[in-house]
This record gives sequence, C-alpha cells and structure tokens, in this order.
Amino acid sequence: MDNDAILRVEHLNKSFYRYQVLTDVNYTMKKGDLAAIIGPNGAGKTTFFNLITGYHTVSRGRILFKEREITNWPRHRIARTGITRAFQVSNIFPKLTAYQNVRQSILAHQNKTLDFFTPAERLAEKETTELLEITGLAPHRGTEAGILSQGDKKKLELALALGSKPDLLLLDEPTAGMSSEETHETMELVKRLNQEVGLTILFTEHDISVIFGYARKLSVLHQGVLVAEGTPDEVRRNEQAQKCYLGEEI
Amino acid sequence: MSAKRFLEKYWLPLLLLAAAAALPLLIAEFWIHVFNEILILGLFAVSFNLIFGYMGQLSFGHAAYYSIGAYTTGLLMVKAKWPLLLCLPVSMLTAGAAALILGFFCVRLRGIYFAILTMAFGQLVFFIIFQWYSFTGGDNGLQGIRPPPWLFSTNPYYYFTLAVVTLAMLVLRIITESPFGYTMRAIRDNTERTEFIGINVQKYMVINLVIAGMFAGLAGALWGPFNRSLAPDLTGWQHSGIPVFMAVLGGPHHFLGPMVGSVIYTFLNAFVTGFTEYWPLVSGLVIIWVVLLMPGGLFGVLQTSGRFRAKRETGEKEKAAKRAIYG
Repeated sequence: MDNDAILRVEHLNKSFYRYQVLTDVNYTMKKGDLAAIIGPNGAGKTTFFNLITGYHTVSRGRILFKEREITNWPRHRIARTGITRAFQVSNIFPKLTAYQNVRQSILAHQNKTLDFFTPAERLAEKETTELLEITGLAPHRGTEAGILSQGDKKKLELALALGSKPDLLLLDEPTAGMSSEETHETMELVKRLNQEVGLTILFTEHDISVIFGYARKLSVLHQGVLVAEGTPDEVRRNEQAQKCYLGEEI
Repeated sequence: MSAKRFLEKYWLPLLLLAAAAALPLLIAEFWIHVFNEILILGLFAVSFNLIFGYMGQLSFGHAAYYSIGAYTTGLLMVKAKWPLLLCLPVSMLTAGAAALILGFFCVRLRGIYFAILTMAFGQLVFFIIFQWYSFTGGDNGLQGIRPPPWLFSTNPYYYFTLAVVTLAMLVLRIITESPFGYTMRAIRDNTERTEFIGINVQKYMVINLVIAGMFAGLAGALWGPFNRSLAPDLTGWQHSGIPVFMAVLGGPHHFLGPMVGSVIYTFLNAFVTGFTEYWPLVSGLVIIWVVLLMPGGLFGVLQTSGRFRAKRETGEKEKAAKRAIYG
C-alpha cells in the first residue's frame, strides 16, 4: 500500500443500464500531485470525477480518500472530507454576486452557515476579498454571477472550489471557454496553488499545450479503460496512448 | 452604525412603520380592521416567502401551519383559558412541529412534486380540523376567542398586532441576511452546487420549513383573537393560495415584497367586495396582469427600472469620458 496516497481508486466500474462507462479503473494520487486525465470525448473523464465526488453512484469498486473509504457517500459529506471540484460547464450561484458566491463557499467551509443572527456581510470579508483577488475577479465583486463572461464564470467556479480549502481539487476542463491569456493566467494559478500551497490537483483538459505544459503525471482514458499512465514524456512515447488519444503521435 | 447611515439604510421600513403607527389617528375604524388583516396576512405571506422567494420551492400547504397556529391559540384560549401572550409562542411551536414532520418527507422532492405534497399535507390538516367536531368544532368552527380586556377594542389590538408583526419581521429580516439566509438563496440558485461546497441541502431545507411554519403559526395565532372565531376553511388550499398571490404581487425577491402584496391584495379585496361579489374575477385579472407585465412583482419593476437608470447613467458617463479623451 502506498502511504503517500491521498486518493486511491480500486477496480472502479460504472455502467448506465447496459452501457459500461468505466471498466476496472485503478488510480492513485499522491499528496501534492498535479495530474491530468486525458482522453477523447466520451472516454469517461467526467464520469470518473462524478464518481469520486458522489455525483453518480459507483456500480462496483471502491474509492479511498486519505485512507478512508468514501464510496457512494453523499456529495456534501465528500466535500467536507476535503474533495472539491470545478465543473466543465460553469456551475455557480447566478443570482448572487461574485463576492457572495465566494463568501458562501468560505462560510460553508468555516461551518458558519447555521448562524442565524450575524449579518453575512460582516463575515469572511478578508478571505473572500483575497480569493477574488487571487482569481482575478476583484473588479467583478459586485456583479451578479449570472451575467459574468464565460471566462469569468470559470474563474468563479475555481474560486468557489478554493473557498472550501480542499485537500484535493478536481478541475474538469478548467480553461474551457477562456481566451489564451485567461488560460495562461488560470493554469499559472493552478501551478502556484500546487507548488506554493501544496494542493493536490487533478484536472481534465483538451488543450494539449496545457496538459503537457502543467501536468506532472498523465493518465489516458479510452472508452472507460485506463490505457496508459506516467510522466508526460512516458505518455508521449506510449504507442497505445498515441493511438487512442489522437490516432496520431502526441 | 451612525444615525445617518441607519436612516439611509432603513428609511423604507421606518417610513412604513411610522405610517402604520399613525393610521388610527387618521382613518376610520373599518380601515383599521383592514390594516390589521394586512399585517396578519402580510406576516403569513413573508413567512411563506422564506420557502418561495428564498428557497425556490412553491408550497401550496402553507395555510396548514397558519391554521395550526390559529387553532392552537383558539383552543388554548377557549378551552384552557390560557392568556394570549402565552398562546403565541406555543402556537409557533405546534406549527413548527407540523412543519418538521412535513419537511422530513417533502425535502426530497423539488418543483411540482414539492408543491403537490405540501398541498396534500394541507388538505390532510383541513380534513382533520373539518371532521373533528368534538375538539375543533368541525365545520361549525371555533367561536368565542376573546382577546384580553386591554386588547378588546380595535385600536389596542391593532397596535398589539403591529408590535408582534414588527418584531417577527425584524427576526425574519435578520435570518434572511444571515449566513443561513444566504445558504437558502444558494439552494434556490443552484442546489447541486450547494451540495458540492459541503452543505447538507435537505437538512437546511427542513430547518427553513420549520422557521417558515413557526412564523405562519404566529400569524395564525393573531388571527383568532382578531376575528373572534375560526373556521376550517383557513386551512384549505384556497387559503394557501393567498400568500402565493401576495408574494407574486409584491415581488418574491424582496424581503418586503409579500407585505406590500398583502397591502394591495387586502385593500383591493376590501374595496372591490364593497361594490361586487365577483372578487375572484377581479383578483384573477390582477394576477394575469402581474404575471404578464410585472414578472418580478411590484418590487421587481422598481428594481428593474432602477437598474435601467443606473445602466443609462453609466453609459452616459462612459460616453462623456470618451468625448473628453477623443474629442
């Protein structure tokens, strides 16, 4: 058993009726990893995230987080153990302002959401402002989240996930819908969070330059099966990965 | 907070409160009765709006808590001779307990299923009250709910209602602006995301239902001594429609919206029934008009026009800045 492992997935299977989406996936992440899962559309990347975070129930297999089995736990309980995620399609609170969105996540993490009598505006002011500044959302703090640009919504999605101060952060296509400049800024932030804060991060992405530029470990999913795993160089040289992912050399 | 900032922030509720306090000096007794009804039904509607406007679910059984509160006070005052002031908190507890029971079942549901289950619960309470002659008086109702002598005439009871409703509104306002209140807004906006930031959504929904039920129960408790009697139709689904109407009319996304809706609805009711017996026809036309032309209610229209004005002003400032730069 790997004692450094923060996440262990063992023989994970998921089927929707007769359609097998994930087959016998074994996966381990060490504390402090910055890893990516790649694969073509429909490979099962998002389903993999959905099973870890409790969005879908596991058909067979088990998931261990910090050596504790969390298979099929309710979503809120999994989030409380330290796993948070950012979604592929931005999933925010559209009628709240960017500031209120982030504050809500921080207050939930601080167990203050059952406070009935303190005005919310007096709480977590410093932490919320800091997180808005880190994610580049400070100029939009008073803007209703629903009318933010697609790129800003993705940043807010990331800020919401960070508000929970997770031990493991799952990012599902974090730069989708962003300009190249925003992509660079976001991925540099991801890198900083990993290197300076020590946050363990697993992400999926379609942009090859992002994948090979930032991930230190890659896993290739193809039709629900984990076909290759290793450092970016190892995966680049792996014939099966090349064939499955692009049908050509990566 | 300085006095100036306090006045800037709370000028509207303070103005409304001052106007409400001055009313008995200005208008006839009949209209004081109408305003008393406005306050009681307004509190009922504001409590309903915790579920509708803040949590994003439509309840068609809110009258159940209102009538449980009303019958608790009525029965305790008539049969056990309890003082009114003691009956009010007890009514809140019984209505809250009923909300806890219903909440346990209905928080698993959303949308139309939630609405139907709450309506079914409301009808269940209606039939219990309607059929239990020996205890509730059945369809004969419960008579002789007399307020204490110091509240017996119109104006003292009006001031008593005003004080209780103001206090209740203050507590509700504090709750809606607390982290719990914002959690409710988060659940309304995106239940899924709320779970993923570590919040047990069902638990919070039950708590919110209990709070809403307690304050609906308090409104109901004020109704019996005001009306001197209770009838089982307070519990029916038609009565549950009243706070829905009021919230939609005033604006569910503003704290005072349902209270303003209560002013319009109750006034209109009192005014129209003086001329015609076709009040439902008029109320139907009003609701069609509101839904088609004022989807956010009265406050929604005011907020939209405010935003439009702010945007226009911002646009004009930007144009002026560009003119200054580019000539």
